[in-house]
Amino acid sequence: MLVNEARHLLSRASSLAARHQLRAISNGTAQLDQQAQPKEAKQPQIKKFEIYRWSPDNSGEKPYMQTYEIDLRECGPMVLDALIKIKNEVDPTLTFRRSCREGICGSCAMNIGGTNTLACISKIDTNTSKSLKVYPLPHMYVVRDLVPDMNNFYEQYRNIQPWLQRKNEATEKKGKAQYLQSVEDRSKLDGLYECILCACCSTACPSYWWNAEKYLGPAVLMQAYRWIIDSRDENTAERLNKLKDPFSVYRCHTIMNCTRTCPKGLNPGRAIAEIKKLLSGLVSKPSPKLETAALHK
Amino acid sequence: MSMSLILRGATRCNAVNLAKSARLTPVKAYSTIFAGAQRQALAKPLPLVKNIAPIVTRNISVSAPRMASAESSHTALWTVERIVSAALLGVIPAAFIAPSQALDALLAVSVVIHAHWGVEAMVVDYLRPSVVGNILPKVAHVGLILISIATLGGLFYFIKNDVGLANGIKRFWAIKGKDSQEA
Repeated sequence: MLVNEARHLLSRASSLAARHQLRAISNGTAQLDQQAQPKEAKQPQIKKFEIYRWSPDNSGEKPYMQTYEIDLRECGPMVLDALIKIKNEVDPTLTFRRSCREGICGSCAMNIGGTNTLACISKIDTNTSKSLKVYPLPHMYVVRDLVPDMNNFYEQYRNIQPWLQRKNEATEKKGKAQYLQSVEDRSKLDGLYECILCACCSTACPSYWWNAEKYLGPAVLMQAYRWIIDSRDENTAERLNKLKDPFSVYRCHTIMNCTRTCPKGLNPGRAIAEIKKLLSGLVSKPSPKLETAALHK
Repeated sequence: MSMSLILRGATRCNAVNLAKSARLTPVKAYSTIFAGAQRQALAKPLPLVKNIAPIVTRNISVSAPRMASAESSHTALWTVERIVSAALLGVIPAAFIAPSQALDALLAVSVVIHAHWGVEAMVVDYLRPSVVGNILPKVAHVGLILISIATLGGLFYFIKNDVGLANGIKRFWAIKGKDSQEA
């Protein structure tokens, strides 16, 4: 009995304390609100956004640029914030892809102010005298507004077989043990595995514009190299053999738009050069530093 | 190309998929009609006739063996291209420092083949059959080969019967205008 009463008392005391705290916090925010009000009376900072519009519903209609005016004081700092604000508050028909809003999914890749980049990690230029132009990724078929058709790009990625391939699958039972890789061998994948396949680089490449059906493009080639150079992968020769024709790799003329535009700061141009070196036999893939399948024995 | 795509699609359509799509169709159809109506209402008020845009498709060529050039290897050519590019760094100064018929011939061959490969890449990139048709790319390629052969022949003629390539360029460089002669 006594114990129970004590518990009641304690809980009541603690809830009282919590209530006091809550009150203090809410009072604090109320005061903050009062302080903030005069600051909000600042002049609006109107920025013009010119956005590419095209809808398949209106047949025969040409694509056009639509201008939206957004007050930057009531908008987040990134271009994606402005696009979401336009869609929520101005024009719900505006169509674009977005997902993670932190530059890791690659959905919101588009051409912003003449550069292919991710809308979620590119800041709005606060100079309101200039309008910001937003186009879909260049030289891609447009599904609607800022949404490009990525089927060819994904099909090319599928074509390089982006998974680990081993020769001896009979004794190396999948999932039974790890494959070993030395720290040095692993470090060769740095700068390759971070690619999020946003297609900014491929759609910045003139060679990919002209020969998108036959040239694989920088993003896919960098992933091809990621699997070629992986010390655990044994199908290196087959992978390289698939790339030796005049178009898959050799339409790359080292223009380096890919490296310049990559929103993740990667270097697809270097990866393609490494593939060319491997193909020509000027260098060959080094043998693994650790015995990859040691734990399978 | 499109025929083969259709055929490939047909083989993929097995009985299970057909049954599945039949089961899903009513719900799917309703939702698309509803979404379509909503979109229409937002886009323009009361459209009497709905225009249906033709579905734009892209011919995707993913099967490497279908490509005419898939069997050929470009690696040897690429390697020779790099070797010639690197060699030009030595051949050009050498031909001018010690002019001789042999070095002039080497200079002529390497410069002409280097330029030929560069223009060839432009022909392949910009005169695509999907843009200009099937005849023009071939005509341009043959024309380029003829121009390159004629250039090389002309240079050889000049090397054999005149002062030579490096000396010729040196003389050309030494020409002075009327004004500079007076001064």
